[in-house]
Amino acid sequence: MLSYIVKRVLGVIPVLLCVSILVFGFLRLIPGDPALIMLGERATQENINRVREQLGLNKPLYEQYLTFLGNALRGDLGRSVLRQEPVTQEVLRRFPATIELALAAMLVALVIGIPAGVISAVRRGSVFDAGSMLIALTGVSMPIFWLGLMLIYFFSVTLHVLPTGGRLTAGTQFTPITNLLVLDTLLRGDIPLFFQTLRHLALPALALGTIPMAIIARMTRSSMLEVLSQDYIRTAHAKGLKESLVVTRHALRNAWLPIITVVGLQVGRLLSGAILTETVFSWPGIGRWLVDAIYARDYPIVQGVTLFIALIFVGVNVSVDILYALVDPRIRFE
Amino acid sequence: MKRLLSIISIVTILAMLLSACATPTPQVVEKVVEKVVEKPVEKIVEKEKIVEKPVEKVVEKVITPTAVPPKAQDTFIFGAQGEPVCLDPAIITDGISGRIINQVFEGLVKFDKDTTNVVPALAEKWTTSADGKVWTFNLHKGVKFHDGADFNADAVVKNFDYWKNTKNPTHDAQIKAGQTFEYFELQFGGFDGDSIITDVKAVDPATVQITLKEPQGPFLNNLAMFVFVFWSPTALEKAGVNSCKTPIGTGPYKFVEWKANEQVTLTAFADYWDKPNAAKMKNIVIRNIPNNSSRLLALSAGEIHGMEGMEPRDVAAVKGNPKFKLILRPANTTGYVAFNYKVKEFTDPKVRQAFAQAINKAPIVTSFYGGTGAPTNQFQPPALWGYNKDIKDWAYDAAAAKKLLADAGYPNGISKVTFDGKETPLEFWYMPVSRPYYPNPKDIATALAADWAKAGINVTLQTIDWATYLDKRKNGQLPLYMLGWTGDNGDPDNFLCYFFCLDAKDTPKPTEGFFADKEISDVLKKAAVLVKQEERAPLYRQAEQLIHDKVTRIFIANNQPPLAFAANVDGYIPNPTGTEYFNTVVVK
Repeated sequence: MLSYIVKRVLGVIPVLLCVSILVFGFLRLIPGDPALIMLGERATQENINRVREQLGLNKPLYEQYLTFLGNALRGDLGRSVLRQEPVTQEVLRRFPATIELALAAMLVALVIGIPAGVISAVRRGSVFDAGSMLIALTGVSMPIFWLGLMLIYFFSVTLHVLPTGGRLTAGTQFTPITNLLVLDTLLRGDIPLFFQTLRHLALPALALGTIPMAIIARMTRSSMLEVLSQDYIRTAHAKGLKESLVVTRHALRNAWLPIITVVGLQVGRLLSGAILTETVFSWPGIGRWLVDAIYARDYPIVQGVTLFIALIFVGVNVSVDILYALVDPRIRFE
Repeated sequence: MKRLLSIISIVTILAMLLSACATPTPQVVEKVVEKVVEKPVEKIVEKEKIVEKPVEKVVEKVITPTAVPPKAQDTFIFGAQGEPVCLDPAIITDGISGRIINQVFEGLVKFDKDTTNVVPALAEKWTTSADGKVWTFNLHKGVKFHDGADFNADAVVKNFDYWKNTKNPTHDAQIKAGQTFEYFELQFGGFDGDSIITDVKAVDPATVQITLKEPQGPFLNNLAMFVFVFWSPTALEKAGVNSCKTPIGTGPYKFVEWKANEQVTLTAFADYWDKPNAAKMKNIVIRNIPNNSSRLLALSAGEIHGMEGMEPRDVAAVKGNPKFKLILRPANTTGYVAFNYKVKEFTDPKVRQAFAQAINKAPIVTSFYGGTGAPTNQFQPPALWGYNKDIKDWAYDAAAAKKLLADAGYPNGISKVTFDGKETPLEFWYMPVSRPYYPNPKDIATALAADWAKAGINVTLQTIDWATYLDKRKNGQLPLYMLGWTGDNGDPDNFLCYFFCLDAKDTPKPTEGFFADKEISDVLKKAAVLVKQEERAPLYRQAEQLIHDKVTRIFIANNQPPLAFAANVDGYIPNPTGTEYFNTVVVK
C-alpha cells in the first residue's frame, strides 16, 4: 500500500512541471502586452519600456521561465503586475473563500445526488425515477451563469429571503481567522453571523452544486442498477433480508467505486465552475481573481493561480486513487 | 419512500432555518470586537532569583448584531463594477479607485457640481500673473488631515515634490516598485526639468506660488483632476510603497478598510474643515459587484443604494420603475470611427466624406444606446466650453455617398483597399468590450457596415481581445476602426490636442492612423498656451470645424453613462469627469 501511495505521489511531479510550462508558454502566446494594459490607452513608449524592464519582460523567455520555476519551488509566485501584491500570500488568502464555496456545493451535490440516485435505481421506472432523472438532465444542461441569476431573482429580489451575493452583508465588521467564514464565525462564537454566512453561501452553493449533483445522481443510479441486477442481490432477497439492508449493505457498497471516481472528477468541475459562480455572486475567491488577471495579462497571478489549481486538482485525484485502493483491494495488489 | 420523505424534511428544515434568520434588507449589521490586551509583567525577586511571569489577560467586548438592524440611513452602499487598483491618487488612472479617492482627498481646486467649471477647494482664491506663468493660491486655514496633521502650504509643496521630483525618496521607491505617475507626466509634461512646472514654493503657511515654464491653458482644469489631491505628508512618508492601502487626505470621509474583492469602507471625518459640506452619511461602503446583472439585482433587492455600469437594455426598465431613480451623467465621452491614412483610398477626402455620408447616425444611437446617447458631429461633448454648435453634420445620403465614390474613381464601390502597399479586403474593426462611448460595439459595427453596404462600401467585421486591439491600434495596424475617448480634465485641449497636435517635427503618429494636419495642429497649439477661456474657446471651435471639414474621423455619438439609485437616495450629483462627491448624498 505504501509503495502504491509513493508511486502515485511521485507521479504528480511531471504533471505539475508540464502544467507550469504550458501555462507559461500559452500566456506568452496570447497577444497583449501587460505593460501596455497596465499603463492603459495613454501609455508612452518610454513608460512601456521601463515597466517591461521592471517586470523582467525584456529578458529571454527561457530565463523568465527558469526564474519563475525557481521562485515557485521556493513558494514564491512573484508579485502581481497591477497591484504589486505577493501572489503566494494572496492565493492563500483568497483560496479559503473558493474552498468554502466548493465544499458547500459538493455537500449539496452529495446530500441530494446520492440518495436521489439510489432511490431512482431502487424504484426504477417510478414517477420519482422519471422526475429526478428529468431534473438531473436539466441540471446538467443549465448554464451556471443563467441559473445563478435566476436564483438571485427568485430568492433575493422576489422572496427577499437570501442575499444576492458577497460573503457577508455590506458594512459588517468581522476579522476572519482562517478565512473560512463558516468556521471562523463558529470559532468566535458568533451564532447570528454564522447564520449570515450560511445564508450568503446558500445560493452560490446551489448554483455551483447543481451540475455535480445531477452527474452524481445519474452515476449513482446507473451504478446501482448494475449492481442490483447481480445474482448475489437476488440471493440476498431470497434469504429474506430487509429491502433497506439489501440496498445499503449489499448494493450500495459495491456500487461505490464508479461514484467515487465521478465525485473526484467533479472537483475539477467545481473549480472551473467557481470562476463563473464567483462572478455572478460577487464571491471574493480565486476564480474571479483569475479572470480579472487574465484580462489584465497579469502573468504572475495567472501562472500562480493555475499552478495552484493544478496542484489541488492533482492532489484530489491522487487521494481518489488512494481511496479507490482502500475500497477495492484488487487495485492495491495489482 | 421513507428515505425520500426524510430527505425532503431535512431540506425543508434547512430552508426554514435559513429563512428564519432572514431579516428585511437592506441591513447593516455592525459587530465591534474590542480587544484589550493587558500584559503586566510580574517581577518576583526571590533571594536574588528573578522570575518573570508574563500574564496575558484578554478582555473581549463583543457587541453582537442587534435583532433590529441599525438605521439604514447611516450607510450609503454603492455598487462598483470592479476592484480599485490603488488608493494613492498620485499613481492611479482608473475611475473605480478615483471614486474612493474623491471622498478621501481634496486638491487646490475642483470641478463644480455637474460641470467642468473649476471652483475653489482647499485654495480659497488665486491670482495669475500677467504672463500667465505665476499662479498664487491662498489656502483655507484650519484644515486638518485625517491623521490630525495640519494642511498648509508646506504640505502642498511636499505633494508636488512627490509627483514631480524623481529624486524624492517616495517617488523613487514607487517607480522602483513598478508604479507610474502617469497623469502628472501627461498633464504637466514630465518630471524634473521636463515638467512645465518649474517651481512650487510656500510663500507663507497659507500661500503657495506655482511657477510655470510657459503658460498652460488647461492648468486649472488639470489641477482639478481627481489625481492632483493632497496626502498628509507624514502619512505618505510613513506609507511609502504601501501608499495604495492607507489613503490619508483632508476629505469629508476617511478611509476605514479595504477588503480585497469585496468592499471599501469609509466613515465621516468629524474634524472636516468645511462644515456646510461635511458628510451627511455616517458610513460609505463601496461594494465590488463585477457582474452588471447581479449588480442591478442587488439594487432591486435593496442591498445597495446606487450603482454604475448598467446594460443599455436595462436602462428603460430602471427609468419606468418607481423603486429606482435614473441619473444620467453629462456626456464626457465620444465614440468615433477612425481612418488609417496608410490605406491609400483614405487619403482622398472624397472617399472619407462618402464613408461619413453613408452613415445614418440617429437610428443607430436610438437602437444601441439604451436612450442615453446622442448623435454628434465633433469630438468635444456639448458640456465642454469649446464645443462648436454651428457645425452642420454631413447629411445622411447613400446616393450622394455612392456618387462621391464614383467621382473619386470607385464606381463599383469599395470592398478592397491598399493598406501599407498591399491589397486586402477592407476590414472594419470593432472593440470586443463595452465602453461608455460604445455600449454595444458589435451591434453598432454591424449597423454601420449595413449602412455602408447601401452605398457600395463592403467591409469585413473584425475584432480581437481588448489588450491586443489597443496594441494594434497603437502601432497603426488597424485600417478602419472604432474607438472613443473619455475626457480627463474637462478641457477642450484634452480631447483635441492629444490626438491632433503634432510634435516638433510634424511626424504623423501611428496611434491614430498616421493622421497629420499642420493647420489643425497650429490652431490647437496656439490655444494651449493661452490662459483666458474667452480667448481659447474660439480657437477650439475653429479646430472642430476644420476637423469636421477635412473628415479626419467620423464622430458617431456622445453617451451619458447611466447611474441607478434607490428611490430614497437624494443628492447624488453626476459630474461629466466622474469626479463625484458622496458628501451630499442622503439615504432617506
